[in-house]
Amino acid sequence: MPSSPELSRVRRRLALALLLATAPLGAETTFYQDRIGPILERHCVVCHGPEKQKAGLRLDSFAWVMKGAESGAMVLPGNAAGSELHRRITLPATDEEVMPSEGKPLLSREEIRNVELWILGGASATKLVAEFPGAPAIGRPKAAAVALAPDWRPRADEIRRLEAELGVRLVPRSQQPGDGLILRTAGSPRRADDAALARLDPVAELIVEAELARTPVTDAGLAAVGRWTNLRSLDLSRAKVSGSGIAALAGLSRLEALNLTDSAVDAGGIERARALPALRRLWAFGAPGMAAAEARP
Amino acid sequence: MHSPENPFARDPHLCSDHAGEGPSIWSLPGLPDALRREWLALETRRHFLGRGMQAFGWAGLASLLGRPLAAQTAASPAVLAPHYAPRAKRAIYLFMAGSPSQFETWDHKPVLQRMFDQDLPESVRGGQVLTGMTASQARFPIAPSVYKFAQHGQAGHWVSELFPHTARIADELCVLKSLHTEAINHEPAILQLTTGNMFPGRPSLGSWLSYGLGAVNDELPTFVVMTSKMPHRTNVQALSNRLWSSGFLSPEHAAVALRSAGDPVLHLNNPPGVSGDVRRAMIDGVNALNRQLFERVGDAETNARIAQYEMAFRMQSSVPELADLSSEPQSTWDLYGEKAKEPGTYAYNCLMARRLAERGVRFTQIFLRSWDQHSNLPRNIKLMAEESDQPTAALVTDLKRRGLLDDTLVVWGGEFGRTCYSQGVLTAENYGRDHHPRCFSMWMAGGGVKPGLSFGETDDFSYNIVKDPVHIRDLHATMLHLFGLDHNRLSFRFQGLDQRLTGVLPAKVIDAILA
Repeated sequence: MPSSPELSRVRRRLALALLLATAPLGAETTFYQDRIGPILERHCVVCHGPEKQKAGLRLDSFAWVMKGAESGAMVLPGNAAGSELHRRITLPATDEEVMPSEGKPLLSREEIRNVELWILGGASATKLVAEFPGAPAIGRPKAAAVALAPDWRPRADEIRRLEAELGVRLVPRSQQPGDGLILRTAGSPRRADDAALARLDPVAELIVEAELARTPVTDAGLAAVGRWTNLRSLDLSRAKVSGSGIAALAGLSRLEALNLTDSAVDAGGIERARALPALRRLWAFGAPGMAAAEARP
Repeated sequence: MHSPENPFARDPHLCSDHAGEGPSIWSLPGLPDALRREWLALETRRHFLGRGMQAFGWAGLASLLGRPLAAQTAASPAVLAPHYAPRAKRAIYLFMAGSPSQFETWDHKPVLQRMFDQDLPESVRGGQVLTGMTASQARFPIAPSVYKFAQHGQAGHWVSELFPHTARIADELCVLKSLHTEAINHEPAILQLTTGNMFPGRPSLGSWLSYGLGAVNDELPTFVVMTSKMPHRTNVQALSNRLWSSGFLSPEHAAVALRSAGDPVLHLNNPPGVSGDVRRAMIDGVNALNRQLFERVGDAETNARIAQYEMAFRMQSSVPELADLSSEPQSTWDLYGEKAKEPGTYAYNCLMARRLAERGVRFTQIFLRSWDQHSNLPRNIKLMAEESDQPTAALVTDLKRRGLLDDTLVVWGGEFGRTCYSQGVLTAENYGRDHHPRCFSMWMAGGGVKPGLSFGETDDFSYNIVKDPVHIRDLHATMLHLFGLDHNRLSFRFQGLDQRLTGVLPAKVIDAILA
């Protein structure tokens, strides 16, 4: 598909255009929001934020920053050299008092300059980016990861009920709700049969990984799996699937990894698997269809 | 004197350790409030986890649901979802106890071939203190490897001729040549690798993973340890459960050690005349008594005990299935070798590690001892390589062909390096090497590590690191990172401190080796 990079570029531009279109018109961001907040978030908030408040200090909002620590103010508006915040971030890496502490990466020169200019400019919550023409650009953290699935949290009751009824587990892949759920069956693989899979429709789009190794799932069960449109990874090792069932997965346009090790999948099934548009990894060791060819696409 | 929230105020004389003896923790005069709160949090968390293993999956959800993420602190219930999406779901750690020499394995030093029996230049040692075993030697004669090296794979890794099978999987390996440690003797050095600290009593790496991530398969332990039979026995290091204990974490996070001979777990079969139903009724009875004890005394250890009875009951069916190798195809034996049929051999343990990985065990640690070659190194390291090379390569190959290597991290290595100079008499065919903490080699494969990479460099004498040093703390931080865990955030409040695997000294994730 030679045109696909071009297509995705177009898609990205379109997405960007939409994003810009939905931002409030004419609302210029403040320097604090655009620069200072993100710098503090990146370097400081893990210890000085909602989770931990070392030295009684929080730096996760303008109000907290200005409130200071147990020991006093962190920022003296207009006086960078006299501000404790500025002093700490500019100490040499070997100094016991340097922040961030414990060997975490120190602020870049550009980041420090932004903090300095902000304090010199009065440590304002409302001044706009345009009012700091001399502020160097700061490296941006990688764009927030794209959500792989909708937020599962509003469906927690449903998830809990399905787990109890079906004897499978639906666990978050990470603490990022957009990372979706893992369908996990290793504890009682026999319970994850075709009938159980068919009942997972209410959470179909939340399942990003399905661990169905050693389950009695057959080709019939794959009809349900084919509706899990956000699936990235599917493990059918030692499941009872043969080959025709793989056709039911054709709609899984995001599936990147498929494990058919020791399944009953034949050569036709492997061909169908190879045709999946996003598939990058395919294993079929021990499956009848593997006898002839190496399955790696 | 009694705390107002004291649930056991009705009997102030109960002790948390011995019911009915001594004062309760609540009635200790002058107990600081902070410690009181820590104890309460401990009790709450363990109670929470102790509701049976089915609660585990839900615990992850509930802890996310019940409170905003930001409000989770070290004192809140264990977070059973990783901080970010992981690359590794499981790890297999091949611990080469005693420490294989880097000179005969992974750190090729051709310059030394021209320096046979010359004295180690003072400029290299730089006045550094030597270990007690060689410090009194009159000379420090350079001992080049008697084994040849060649480059292998697209990666071009230099691999010793002692490891022909491992050489064939060179392209899977990320070889680290710049590990370093402070420990100069085995026990503290091994402890530092297994628990992050030279002093015994800390939770091991596998326990931290169990605590941070929970189980994938409730029917098997989260953390399994296997020790291996040795092809020869010289300077054998003692292994003990402090290398895989849960330290101050709840005991259910400790490893279950599978035995190397006979039944993998003792007393797993019910005695003659005792049916499964009878066993179940017995455990239910004991658990009921234990729950009464917990209600009365509030000792969190009681809940851990209940959880362990339940785990043992489930292992009665899961372990025989695990250890039944009759369904393994001939290709398995071709790959691992016939020795894999003999329980307790390193080859058998490698095969078991693959079977444990298939069944979702988070962390499997295999120990192979007797790499401590202070003398007769050429002969003895060959015996060790012959014992371990084929099964090691087989394990990586097997994981890869079964699609498990992508999310299974394999780690190979000892606890420190060895000296470039000979300990004792040096001849053209024979020499020994003393301990050397300043640099050593390890390798990793799979689990989100960059394959085919060589990372870190030592000087021509593999004495000092010249590029990209990797402390054991960095290794641990990186391993946790691959599991989706931030080493700074995975902590447990104990004795007033937020304890971490990586401790309080600087530790960094080695970004350069991440795939």
